[in-house]
Amino acid sequence: MRYLVVIILFVSIVVNAVGEKFFNQVIIVNIMLAIKNVELLIDDINQSNSTRIKMQFGNLVSSWKKVETTYLLGDLNEDYLDIPRYIDIFHGNNEDIKPQLDLIINSNDELFNAMYKYSHKTINALEYILFTKDLFHPRVKNMALIIAKSIKNYLLEILDGYKMYQSKFLESEQYASAILLNTLIAGTYKLKEWRVGDVAGLSKKFKNKPNNYRAEYATSGNSVNAIKAILETQVQVINSPDYQDFGDISRQFKARKEIDQAISALNDSIANANNMSEFDFINDKGKLLYQSTNRLMKAYYISLMDKLGFVSKVLDADGD
Amino acid sequence: MEINPFEYLMDPHRRIYWLFLLSSLMIAFVFLKFHPEQKRIVLSKKLWLHPSSLLDYSYFIFSILFRVMIILPVIISAKEVALFVNIVLLNQYGFVRIETFSYTQVMVLFTFILFILSDFTRYWLHRLLHFVPWLWVFHKVHHSAKVLNPLTFYRVHPIEFLLFGFRYSLSIGFVTGVFVFLFGSLVSIYDILGVNLFVFIFSLLGSNLRHSHIKLGFGNVIELFLISPLQHQIHHSKNHMNTNFGGFLSIWDYLFGTLILSNNITKIKFGLERTQMRNFKSLKDLLLFPFIVIYKQIKK
Repeated sequence: MRYLVVIILFVSIVVNAVGEKFFNQVIIVNIMLAIKNVELLIDDINQSNSTRIKMQFGNLVSSWKKVETTYLLGDLNEDYLDIPRYIDIFHGNNEDIKPQLDLIINSNDELFNAMYKYSHKTINALEYILFTKDLFHPRVKNMALIIAKSIKNYLLEILDGYKMYQSKFLESEQYASAILLNTLIAGTYKLKEWRVGDVAGLSKKFKNKPNNYRAEYATSGNSVNAIKAILETQVQVINSPDYQDFGDISRQFKARKEIDQAISALNDSIANANNMSEFDFINDKGKLLYQSTNRLMKAYYISLMDKLGFVSKVLDADGD
Repeated sequence: MEINPFEYLMDPHRRIYWLFLLSSLMIAFVFLKFHPEQKRIVLSKKLWLHPSSLLDYSYFIFSILFRVMIILPVIISAKEVALFVNIVLLNQYGFVRIETFSYTQVMVLFTFILFILSDFTRYWLHRLLHFVPWLWVFHKVHHSAKVLNPLTFYRVHPIEFLLFGFRYSLSIGFVTGVFVFLFGSLVSIYDILGVNLFVFIFSLLGSNLRHSHIKLGFGNVIELFLISPLQHQIHHSKNHMNTNFGGFLSIWDYLFGTLILSNNITKIKFGLERTQMRNFKSLKDLLLFPFIVIYKQIKK
C-alpha cells in the first residue's frame, strides 16, 4: 500500500509552475512599488501639493492593481483572504460611502471613531476625498492621511505575508501554478465583466445601459489606467522575456497554441486599452476592449482545460 | 492520433494496456491454480482460434482505422463541452469561486465525482442499448461473440463507438465545466499515468477477465458493489443479457433492479440465438447488418 501511495504521488506531481524568479521579480517587486507609491502619496498629502497628489494617486492605483492582479496570499493563508477588500471595495460592497464620508467631514466626532468602517479607509474612499474635497481643510487632510496610512499598513501586511509564505508558494509548483492561473482567470473575468462590461452596457447586469460613471475610478479618471496596469501585470505572468513564466511552461506542456491565443488576446486588449480615454467605455472602443478581454478569459479557460489532459481524450468503447 | 494497433498496448487509457493485460494474466494464473478444471477451456486452441475470436482480432484492427478516420473527427471533445458549460454558468450566475475547500479536497471530490458519474452514465447508456430496439440492433454486434477474449471488448459497432464517445464528452465535460466554474484551476485529478486513480485501480483488478472464460466471481457481498468478471460473463449469456449492465460498479444494477450475483448462475452460454448468430459471421456482417435491419424496419 505504501508503495502504491508513493507511485501515485510520484506520477501525479507535474512540474509545471513558475518559480522563485517570478515570485521575486513580479510579486515582491509589485508590492514594494505599491508601498513606495503610497508613501510618496502620504508625503504629498502632508505637503498639500494637489498636483502631485493627483498624479501620485494614479501611480498608487496602477501599482495596487498590479498587486491585486496576482494576489495569491489568500490562497497561501486564508487569514489574508480579505485584505484586498480592506483596500479596495469596487464591486464588493453595496453601501454608498460618499454620503457617509460627507457626514464624517461635517461632524465633529473624533476621526478615529467616525471612520470605524474598513470601507471608509479604502482606496475608493481616498479617491473621493482627494478628488472632490478641499485638502486645505484640516479635517479632510487628516482623513486622507488616515486612509493612506491604513492602505500602507495593509500593503506592508501583504509584503510580510508573502515573505512568510514564499516557501509554501515555491514548495509545490503544481499548486502555485493552479492558484496563479485561478487569480488570472478571476482577474480577467472581473476586468471584462465589471470594469468594462458594466460600464459599456455589455454585461448581463447592465445590458444596453452604458454609463461611464460606473467605471472603477470614474471620479479621478484612473479607470483606463487601472485596466492597463492589470493587463501589464498579466504580461508579466504569461509573456515575460526575463524569467520562466506561465507561457513558457505552457509551451513545454504542448499548449503552445492555447498560450499563443492568450498572448494574442492580451496584446489586443492592451492595444485597445491604450487606444481608449476615460469616456470611451460607452462607444466602439469600449466594445472592442470588452471583446478582446472576453477572448482572453476564454483562452485562459481553454489553457486550464488543457492542463486537465484527460478532457481531450475519447476513451475506448467503454460500455462493455 | 495513432493508427498503430500496438499503441493500444502502450496507452494506459486503453483496456488492453500491457499492465492491465499483465495484471489480468496474473490473476488468471492464480485463479487457475485453484480451479485447474477450467484450464482445459481457457488454454484450448479451439477457444483462441475459434472463428468468433478470429473475427474479434480482425475487427479490432479495422475498428482502430474507423475510430481514427471516421469517429474522432465528428465527436465533440469533453474540453469543448466543459468550456461551454463553464461559459453558460458564468453568463447565468456571474463569477463564483468557492474558497472554503482546500486544493486536496477539490482534487479528491473531483476525482471521485468524475468516476461515479462516468460509471453511472455508462450503466444507463449500456442499458439503453439493450432496451431501445433500434440501439439493440447495433449493440447486438457486441453480443454476437460466441466465445470471449479481451479483444471482444472492441467488437462494437461504429454507431456504438460514437454514442460512447458522446457519453464521455458530455458527462466528463459537464462535471469538469461545473468544477472549473466553482473552483477554477484548483480542479485536478488524482491520477496514475494520466488515468483517473479509480479507473486505473479497477482496470488493474482483472478488467480483461470480463471478456474471458475465467469464471472469477467476487462473492455475494462484493458483487453488490463491484462487477466481477463472472458477472459480466453472465451479461454475455443468452439467458441473462438484460442484467449486469455496470461498468466498474454494480451498485447501479442493484439500485435499478438489473443485478444478478454470480453465485446464482451455473450455466452460461455466450452469444445470441442460433438464428441471429448467422448474421454476424464476417467483418462485413458486423458493420452492415444493423443498417440492413434498420433499413428493412423503416421500409415496412
